[in-house]
Amino acid sequence: MVLDTKGGIQQLNNCANASFQSDIPCIGTSLYSVVLDKYESVLKEIIQKVTSGETVLNQQLKFPTTTSKGILTLRLDFSLEGENIYAIGVDVTAADKEHQALQATSELGKIAAWYYNPITKELFWSKECYKLHGIDPEDVERDQKGFYNYQEEIRDRAKKYLYELLETKQPYDYVETVTKDGKKTYLRIIAEPVFNNNKVIFVNGTVADVTERQEYIQQLEESEETKKLALKGIRSGLFDHHIESNLVYYSPSFRKMLGLPLKEEFLPEETFRKMIHPDDVEEALARHLSNLKKESAYYFNHYRLRHLDGKYRYYEVYGYCKKDANGTTTRLIGNLIDVDKRKKNEQIILKNQRRMQAMINNGFVYTFLLDTEGKILLTDDISIEIIKEDFNVNPIKTAVRFIDVLPLNFKNTFADSFNEALKGKITRKEVERVMQQGNSQWLEVKYTPITDQDDKVTTVLITGLDITERKIAEIAIREAHNKEQELNSLKTNILANFSHEIRTPLNGIMAISELLISEEDPQERDKLLGYLKDSKDRLLETINNLSNFSEVETIKTDLNLTKCDLNFTVETSYREYDHLAELKELDYKLILDENSPKVAINEQLFRTAFNNIIHNAIKYTHEGSVIITITSDATQNVSIITVKDTGIGIETVNLRKIFDPFVQESIGMSRKYEGTGIGLSLSKRYLELLGGTIEVQSEIEKGSRFIIKLPLCS
Amino acid sequence: MNILYVEDNKINAMVMDKMLSKEHSKITIVENGFDALKIVQDDMPDLILLDINLGKNQMDGCELLKKIQELPAHKNTPVFAVTAYAMPGDEKRFINIGFDQYFSKPIDFPALLSEIKKIRITKN
Repeated sequence: MVLDTKGGIQQLNNCANASFQSDIPCIGTSLYSVVLDKYESVLKEIIQKVTSGETVLNQQLKFPTTTSKGILTLRLDFSLEGENIYAIGVDVTAADKEHQALQATSELGKIAAWYYNPITKELFWSKECYKLHGIDPEDVERDQKGFYNYQEEIRDRAKKYLYELLETKQPYDYVETVTKDGKKTYLRIIAEPVFNNNKVIFVNGTVADVTERQEYIQQLEESEETKKLALKGIRSGLFDHHIESNLVYYSPSFRKMLGLPLKEEFLPEETFRKMIHPDDVEEALARHLSNLKKESAYYFNHYRLRHLDGKYRYYEVYGYCKKDANGTTTRLIGNLIDVDKRKKNEQIILKNQRRMQAMINNGFVYTFLLDTEGKILLTDDISIEIIKEDFNVNPIKTAVRFIDVLPLNFKNTFADSFNEALKGKITRKEVERVMQQGNSQWLEVKYTPITDQDDKVTTVLITGLDITERKIAEIAIREAHNKEQELNSLKTNILANFSHEIRTPLNGIMAISELLISEEDPQERDKLLGYLKDSKDRLLETINNLSNFSEVETIKTDLNLTKCDLNFTVETSYREYDHLAELKELDYKLILDENSPKVAINEQLFRTAFNNIIHNAIKYTHEGSVIITITSDATQNVSIITVKDTGIGIETVNLRKIFDPFVQESIGMSRKYEGTGIGLSLSKRYLELLGGTIEVQSEIEKGSRFIIKLPLCS
Repeated sequence: MNILYVEDNKINAMVMDKMLSKEHSKITIVENGFDALKIVQDDMPDLILLDINLGKNQMDGCELLKKIQELPAHKNTPVFAVTAYAMPGDEKRFINIGFDQYFSKPIDFPALLSEIKKIRITKN
């Protein structure tokens, strides 16, 4: 073929003409329009090289034909002669045919093809084959068909396999690993010999990238191993229960653990059932059956199982039911999970909770555990009941702030103490709680902060200790102490008062005595002697009172009570003051009790006490009446003596204190009652010694009423 | 010498009257603080003697002293307490309240007369 430098066809020899076929326009046309599209660029390159003076050898170009030949393949050598390019070559269509078929296959699929011609010792790789081996097919010298393209590490093995095939005439199939740029590729290589006269004349082969598959297999192997290791390690048991046959598969480690037969993979369900704790088996079976029947595929059961060592452990069963078209469970696949530790922990927690509640209920009167916001976390049963009753809420079930269920008067102290507790400080306070019945309960309330491992306050414990008894004792002691002090000051007052009452008449007596010495006038002397007698009388009265008063303490032990007719006793006293009342022209009367009441008294004591009352009534009544009445109150079993006067009366503020010796007026310097003031207090003491009482009603300027009550005796 | 004596006990008042009359003093006796205050308005006593306990519902000697001291005319009039309150500490208490002298009952008349004499000398 002669071409111009632009690829235009100048001449064709006969052979070339025959090859191209006559219907293809040849001379005068460009070779570019004749060659397959794919080869246009190859031709262009060739022409360039040749025109620049190079000789280009052994180039394959392909051309279409209209004959059954299909594609015409020519192998050509190009050279430049003057202005023309001479292309000389042979038709290699026949030789290239099988190669072409392989090429086509490999281009279509991901499988690469190769062949080996043992006669020519040619090893042919398809493009894909190069690619799979990590080689760019364009870089390869076509001449070097052979084993050089194999990577060094695998070349010997490839040769070995191929030579073995030639000897053994057996096909082979193996997986080779190719590493390129650090990436591993798995190649499956298959070879099939072609025989002629029982001689291998050709070897057809394929190479396929099986990396994905290989990796998948490896993953499978790994996950299988994981599964095996997992099954070995866990205490749980996988099982597969075929309901119809009632046979169950249990994972081997589980069978080992329970001491079930190891040889048979499937065991009758009854064998397993024997391992369930006798106390649990009935309920477990009921749950099992209802699980199978229900619509949901999810299965749950729990029971204790006996281990090889004879001890029972708690198990939970989670499974999945496989159902047929009728909804009947045919297979149950699941997992037995050892929850022994958890179950036992739960039991311990429950036990501890109960113990704590018992402590809370019995250790203190009230116990509250609050979080840092003041909400009640825990409290005793009594407090729950109180809060329920007062606020209609259960503080354990509903979040309630402690401050919201506190009585109003506790809110402030609570807030203070709680804030201190949040700062980590313990506080203790004594509070008085008025209960529903109206009586007081004294509590020692302690706020204790509870901290976590970082010393941060997480909860505050409030405990109330009943200290009512202690408090009552304390109050009694304090009262006794006050009383003692009061008595002491009373004693001092009594002494001061007696001193005053003695000194006043004594002043008169002493001065009058002095005056008498120098007084010569008999009339004056008589007058002085009269004054002397008055002063003397007053002094004597004071001293009598004093001795009576001191007597009281000793009388107590030796009362000598005798039964008397009260009418008679009262009348005797009444008559003693007849004269005094007449002198003041008073309406002085005694009204006796018709029942003639009998009382057990020491008559002398009673008379001393009672006379005092009559004497006072007459003394402070300037006009009107003094009336004494005796009545009985059978229901109270007492006799009542009333002394009613129309005298000056007693101021309300003094009424309560009237029976206290001197107390009312003598503290301080202005004692407003004349005399020692011992009378009424003495009367009261005497009457009380006799088991009686005395009280007074009075209105200023209107009069007073003294009421004496004495127990009646049969 | 003009003396005012406030005393509710008639015998004691009479006794004081007799004792002081011997010493040529003019003595006015009243039973209660109310009357005493009326007298000190018109009369100008050179010395006032006060009993402390002046009876039930009455102004006592201490209250009376305060009222007298409030009067500008009597700012410098000597006032003696003459009382049967004679327990330990009583004297100190009355002096602290503002009495110039304290005489306990029974009265030491020679001592009282000697104090009166001193006042008279100062006056003259």
